[in-house]
Amino acid sequence: MSASTSQCRDAPRSATVLRGGAKVARREQAMFWWLRNRLVWRMVAEWATSSRLRMSILVGLSLLFWLGLFAVFHESFVLLANSVSHEPTRAMVAHKIFNIFFFALLIMLAVSSGIIMYSALFRSDEVRFLLTQPISVRRIVSHKFQEAVAFSAWGFLLMGSPMLIAYGMSVDAPLYFYAMLVPMLVSFVVIPAACGGLACMGVIYVAPRFRLRLIATLVAALVAAGLYLGLRLFVMVQENLQGAAWLSEMMGRMEFAEQRLLPSWWLSSGLLQAAHNEPASAGDQPWRDSVMFLGLLVSNAMMATMVLVEIGHRALRPCYSRLQGMGGSNRRARSSVLDRLVRLLAWPLPPATRLLIEKDVRLFRRDPVQWSQFAIFFGLLALYFINIRRFQYDDGMLLRWMNMIGFLNLAVVGLILSTFTTRFIFPMISLEGRRFWILGTLPIHRETILWSKFWFAGLGSAPPCAALIFISDWMLGIVATTPVMALIHQVTCWSLCLGLAGIAVGLGARLPDMRQNSPARIAAGYGGTLNLVLSGIFIVLTVLMTAAPSYFVLEARDLAGAHRYLADTPATHFLLGSNWALAAGVAATVLLGAVATIVPLNIGIRAFRRLEF
Amino acid sequence: MIEFRNVSRRYGKRTAVADLTLTAPGGEVFAYLGPNGAGKTTTIKMLVGLLQPHAGGISIGGVDVRKQPREACRLLGYVPDQPFLYDKLSARETLQFVAGMYGMGQKEAADAIERQIATFELGGFCDRLSEGYSHGMKQRVVFASALVHNPRVVVVDEPMVGLDPRSMRLVKDLLRRFADEGGAVFMSTHTLSVADEIADRIGVLSQGRLLFCGAVGELRERLAERDGSLERLFLKLTEEMDDDAATAEALAGPALAGRTAAAAVGAGQEMGDA
Repeated sequence: MSASTSQCRDAPRSATVLRGGAKVARREQAMFWWLRNRLVWRMVAEWATSSRLRMSILVGLSLLFWLGLFAVFHESFVLLANSVSHEPTRAMVAHKIFNIFFFALLIMLAVSSGIIMYSALFRSDEVRFLLTQPISVRRIVSHKFQEAVAFSAWGFLLMGSPMLIAYGMSVDAPLYFYAMLVPMLVSFVVIPAACGGLACMGVIYVAPRFRLRLIATLVAALVAAGLYLGLRLFVMVQENLQGAAWLSEMMGRMEFAEQRLLPSWWLSSGLLQAAHNEPASAGDQPWRDSVMFLGLLVSNAMMATMVLVEIGHRALRPCYSRLQGMGGSNRRARSSVLDRLVRLLAWPLPPATRLLIEKDVRLFRRDPVQWSQFAIFFGLLALYFINIRRFQYDDGMLLRWMNMIGFLNLAVVGLILSTFTTRFIFPMISLEGRRFWILGTLPIHRETILWSKFWFAGLGSAPPCAALIFISDWMLGIVATTPVMALIHQVTCWSLCLGLAGIAVGLGARLPDMRQNSPARIAAGYGGTLNLVLSGIFIVLTVLMTAAPSYFVLEARDLAGAHRYLADTPATHFLLGSNWALAAGVAATVLLGAVATIVPLNIGIRAFRRLEF
Repeated sequence: MIEFRNVSRRYGKRTAVADLTLTAPGGEVFAYLGPNGAGKTTTIKMLVGLLQPHAGGISIGGVDVRKQPREACRLLGYVPDQPFLYDKLSARETLQFVAGMYGMGQKEAADAIERQIATFELGGFCDRLSEGYSHGMKQRVVFASALVHNPRVVVVDEPMVGLDPRSMRLVKDLLRRFADEGGAVFMSTHTLSVADEIADRIGVLSQGRLLFCGAVGELRERLAERDGSLERLFLKLTEEMDDDAATAEALAGPALAGRTAAAAVGAGQEMGDA
């Protein structure tokens, strides 16, 4: 060993220090390129060899999702083409829709990239390691920024590409429209991502101590603004649906997204120009305009990246140091009314289960990441439900549609809850595994742990969700006009909540990821994705099974027989519009809820008993 | 080689390191000791450029860490208390990446990597992905990557955590030899026997202040503990500091307690300077 270290020491030091900025930058670039290639290919190879089934399911589901979106968009654009024969008007409508869509994505991308950059730059072990290497900080910022863009872009491409390809096909766009899609979309993603990254560093540089509150406030403000604009668009329109005045009012309300300084406007304009098959007038050259917009997007994306990297070069080390300097938490552990309430409500459960639930409630209320997201989304939903009165439901014909809106609200609550169960409940077993030296050595059955998680998730989510649905039904007038429907909504809601809890806890125990300590990463893995997909299918089935017969019952009541659509046979009469059908739907929903609760839990319990830590 | 000049660093209102002045020349193993929360890791993070001091300056081989972090990084090898490795790279690839970042040529890097693999006995697993390594294996790879570019200074935070006895022996011998060959080793540790065995000098930190800086023999003389083990000396020194602060607080409240503790520190620093 002496000889080896001696050889190291004798090596000419000057040889290890390359001179010349450009040469060093090229070397760093090559090394990072090598690093990224290795990491990506290793991951792909691992998936291909050891997780073929998982990958096939993921790719298959993504493809299904993509095709579903494509079909919906294609049908919508064909409908638009059939409804609006005047080509310039149609183009204007499409421009407005694209503007709104890309404007919303612009905001969402900026926020999500800001959060991703925060986590990538200031909470990552890799950056801690890289900062102690003789690497340019520009390179580190650039490396992490590319990651953030990749994270943000894939979802954007998955959602944006079916819409744009469907549009291109519906207007018979030239080939270069499709060729321009990827560079336009990618350069568009880079701009809000860079702005989000800059905002992230700005917040940490100016107010590191209040960063989480600032970010939470910003996100809440943006969600509220989005909700307000959405309501303004769709709720307060006074005219008849799809009339000329309605269309005109809608167009007017979409104008806020048409600021010409916004990249979303450049993107939608560029894409629409590229989609033009023929010039509108003699001097019109759509391809030239689309290339100009592409140039505008690319140049701004490059500029935004350069600004981010330069500011990052100056600010990363001070920001990192400031953030590290915040020190640990000195919060005192206090008992709360919630703890006592939980103890009181859970008294029928076995003592061990009760204690585990109390522990989980304590962890939940002391983790602002969990309760703040829960509070923000459910608070905003409550706001929306309270304001839903603005819909016109005095018209008797719309009454059954109000019931449908009630069911849609139920589905929305279910879908939001499913994201929470995926993000917070599914990873619980995996995280518990890391501290299994506590639970694993206690004199309790392993299934007690799972049951406690189930009760925590199910009984923790069902009352607030049921309250939200009650508010929705009340404001829609369902409670007053058709209380039975309100009751059915409540039954469906409880069935949903318990089923979602069962799926998340059961799958969490069946597909744990003990190597990860980040719940977000666990949720983003195969098990989390499968949980989200199964939850989505469960929600759709549950809501459909009660919504469809409910609709026909009301239709039959209003119009004396919905079965007019079909041959008047006993079977169609039973299926469409009878109370028996409704009762069968409710029974099927309850049964499905029970199956979704019991089967995954059972699978989870069996797997959890066998699990080695 | 390593120089701290009146360095202070706060975490909010709490002072983690106060007015630290210290040098660790080449050819020396310097062991940095102190109870939990004393400020050892903060000092090390400032030394490697992860934290910036609120006052004072730090230099490595004459290079200011704050003003020229990249140049300072070239001179040092850092082994953190929680090793980071890319899960999907092997030990050999990690060493290749690090060697590349230090601008080593292909031949030079390959030779250095082979030497480190031999030194740290990584041959049995160096081509397997890091995700399957135990803590001790990771720690050995991190040591290898800290030394692969032939640094002049090695900074080690808790070097013995997770290492088996054989690896511990390996690391102790290596650090000792590294210093004997002219390098500077700055090592933070709770393992007092290691400090006693290989350190030329020790620094004892408590509540962010340096209580003592010098050879273990000097500490024995100062505390009149001619045959005391380093553990006994360490406990006596840090307890004195705690007692002074507690007595002062009991007599006159926290404000005076702070001054009395500072006086104790002053005495400690005088001892260190002596």
